Amino acid sequence: MAPIGRRLASLLLTTLTVASLAACSNQTSEPAATSSTSGEAKTGGTLTYLEPQTWGSLYPPSGGFYPNGGLLNNLTDRLLYQNPDTLELEPWIATELPEVNDDATEYTFTLRDDVTFSDGTPLTAETVVKNIDLFGKGDTDRALPVSEAINNYEGGEVVDEHTVAFHFSAPSPGFAQAVSTINSGLVSDATLDLDSDGFGPGNAENFVASGPFVVEKEEIGTKISLKAREDYDWAPPSLQHQGRAYLDGIDYVVAGENSVRVGSLTAGQADIARQIEAPDEAVVTAAGLSIVSDPTNGVTNSLSIRFPSEKLSDIRVRQAIIAGIDREAIIEALFSDSYPLATSSLAKGAKGYRDQSANYVYDQAKANSLLDEAGWVAGSDGIRAKDGVKLSLAFNIALPQPRSADVLTIIQEQLREIGIEVTIISGDQAAQTAASADIDQVQIYHSMVARADYDVIKSQYYSANRNTLQNLSSATGEVTDPKLDELLLAVASSPEEADRAAASAAVQDYLSEQAYVLPLFEEPQVYGLATHVKGFSTESVARPSFYSTWLDR
Amino acid sequence: MPIVRRIAQALLVILLAFTATFILMQALPGDGVLARYQNPELGLTPEQIEQLRVVYGVDQPVWSQFLTSVGNYLAGNFGTSLQSGARVADLIVTALPETLVLAAAGFTLAVIVAVAIAFLASFPSMRWLRNAVRSLPPLFVSVPAFWVGILLIQVFSFGLGWVRVIGADGLEALILPAITLSVPISAPLSQVLIQSLDEVGESPYVAIVRSRGAGEWWVLTRNVAKNALLPTITIAGLLFGELVAGAVVTEAVFGRAGIGTLTEQAVANRDLPVIQAVVLLAAIGFVVINLVVDLLYPVIDPRLRRERTA
Repeated sequence: MAPIGRRLASLLLTTLTVASLAACSNQTSEPAATSSTSGEAKTGGTLTYLEPQTWGSLYPPSGGFYPNGGLLNNLTDRLLYQNPDTLELEPWIATELPEVNDDATEYTFTLRDDVTFSDGTPLTAETVVKNIDLFGKGDTDRALPVSEAINNYEGGEVVDEHTVAFHFSAPSPGFAQAVSTINSGLVSDATLDLDSDGFGPGNAENFVASGPFVVEKEEIGTKISLKAREDYDWAPPSLQHQGRAYLDGIDYVVAGENSVRVGSLTAGQADIARQIEAPDEAVVTAAGLSIVSDPTNGVTNSLSIRFPSEKLSDIRVRQAIIAGIDREAIIEALFSDSYPLATSSLAKGAKGYRDQSANYVYDQAKANSLLDEAGWVAGSDGIRAKDGVKLSLAFNIALPQPRSADVLTIIQEQLREIGIEVTIISGDQAAQTAASADIDQVQIYHSMVARADYDVIKSQYYSANRNTLQNLSSATGEVTDPKLDELLLAVASSPEEADRAAASAAVQDYLSEQAYVLPLFEEPQVYGLATHVKGFSTESVARPSFYSTWLDR
Repeated sequence: MPIVRRIAQALLVILLAFTATFILMQALPGDGVLARYQNPELGLTPEQIEQLRVVYGVDQPVWSQFLTSVGNYLAGNFGTSLQSGARVADLIVTALPETLVLAAAGFTLAVIVAVAIAFLASFPSMRWLRNAVRSLPPLFVSVPAFWVGILLIQVFSFGLGWVRVIGADGLEALILPAITLSVPISAPLSQVLIQSLDEVGESPYVAIVRSRGAGEWWVLTRNVAKNALLPTITIAGLLFGELVAGAVVTEAVFGRAGIGTLTEQAVANRDLPVIQAVVLLAAIGFVVINLVVDLLYPVIDPRLRRERTA
């Protein structure tokens, strides 16, 4: 009896199991059946992504360069996650937002304990401190620069197995956002010991981090292939998607020629292409593909009018330049709807934005009368002069920015109409960089910078950072306008969020009142997507995120 | 003895090319370290950039940098790229095979095209065909290589879908670039070949051969072609420069990771160590090819053989 009974029991059990399994699968297969129409993610497939430039370094603080950032964003995790829609900070590798002391000089993070690097080593508190120490201090002996995002850094401390603390010599309110950026991507201990060469091309397969993808194969200068980590299970908790990435892999292929990127995309040879130029957007949409244009949420694409230059020291001349440039005509001629007219030195989506459009009005008659008032008289060639000096200004070409040379050519024509001569510095990136650092060579500087934090405006204009206005004169070594520096410092040193917003607004007011800056447009990142690409998104400054991307084919 | 002199000459050419590159690069404003680290994306302070310049040794006087550079080369150390930090030797070794394959395919195709054009252009009958074919080399030489490349991609890859540009391997990835590269190479080659075919065709001995009843085809293939080869081989040696220049454009358009792409990126970023290595490589290539061409002369022309032994 006993054996029969046992057999019966086991039969019963098996039947039950099968039945319940069937029931389960029924339940899941119902929505799965409708998923093809409602868009439930499919796992698998390799996505081909076209990049206009080859990457240069995987050292996370170099992540500002688009090709570097496009890789790092998918290879690394960060302590915090910045929601690209709301720009709010959310937990990621840190289990909650950090504890910050009153003057923002000490940050304490609690860490997840289940995170491993792709070489199998665990992500420990020691490793996290080692990461931020390197990024916050840099190491010039290894030619590894300090991260622009981390200010006033003193050092990190392992409090216990799951807790780390970071100390600052002065308030550093931007630090929490800084550890959410690509520039603070966490890498393994061994990777942290690499020097500048070790982070460079030819060594990508040795780059070890904890992100959803790992480098599988590298062909220097043309292609880098990533594959998904099967055991990835520590995505930001706020994301709907958890576990491994949907894609099996991503091929980043370098295609420098615009027509080749657009053509390959429309011919179905690639799935996503970065940097679709404005005139090509129509080609992409006409082929039935989609354009994704995401804002970079920082300082807009703008002209820094370098007031320490003698010709530009008179506010009326600066105001005349602003009134003499028809920005809408430039956007109309060269760009598309993806490039909104700028209304402040910061983009609308940037933290601390305040509308300044009243100060940026095109009015050629006003420009002429301002120059007349300021004593600049038109000569026989139509160029104004004063005391024998011609009103001639040199502009740099912002090579990384879209169509900079074309923009400047139109500005050259427009300013010629009000009697200002514009010369455009020619030459490669090295020549542009060298000339731009010298106020005698470049009086009006064309640039932009992306970072979704209040600090971004300080990065751009502060005398000890990018110093785009040459407020700290390269000639005399003196700060021409200490008030500007003071206003900028307030943005980066007020511990309270409301104070930082107010300080940022004050800087924008000052920049437009003093006619120091003419913002042109809000610079986007424009991607072209094949129709079968779903769930593609970008992080807070528009670098691609492939974690939740999937292919519907 | 002549061999020793040739080698000494070759070494001098290489050293001069190396020095000229160095001087030209120094004469331009800015340098590779500035280009990389003063990049506003990094937001480094002037002090930090100065420290990095010291690390890379670009703060040293020019003559000292030059001597260091020459010394390193003699020691077999080609340095690291200023732009990426990768070892220059690695970059060259990875890129060279790609370019060699492309150059060989492009050159072979160019020779085939040039010979076909020249023979059609010298073909006795059908005057209209001769004239039409004779207008091809000027056309080939005047169309820019990048334009030809883009056109080929648009038509054969995006339009007809015969070959892929993205994700292609092996032969598929070689066809369109090789055609692109062959266009500017075949033009001067065929021009010279046509001209010498014409000249030889009018020489007295050809008239004699004709008078003895040889057909036009016989004359062209047996008597004229062989004698018209010498100037063509000379120009083929000189075309190496054209090949390198064509490779830069072709590789950039097709996104091939060869020496051309490496050069283009190095020049754009003022990456002196990479530029120097590429120039040196090109100089060596030029010298070697022309040496081979010189050695080929006596093989083709028995008269030269006799002169040397005499």
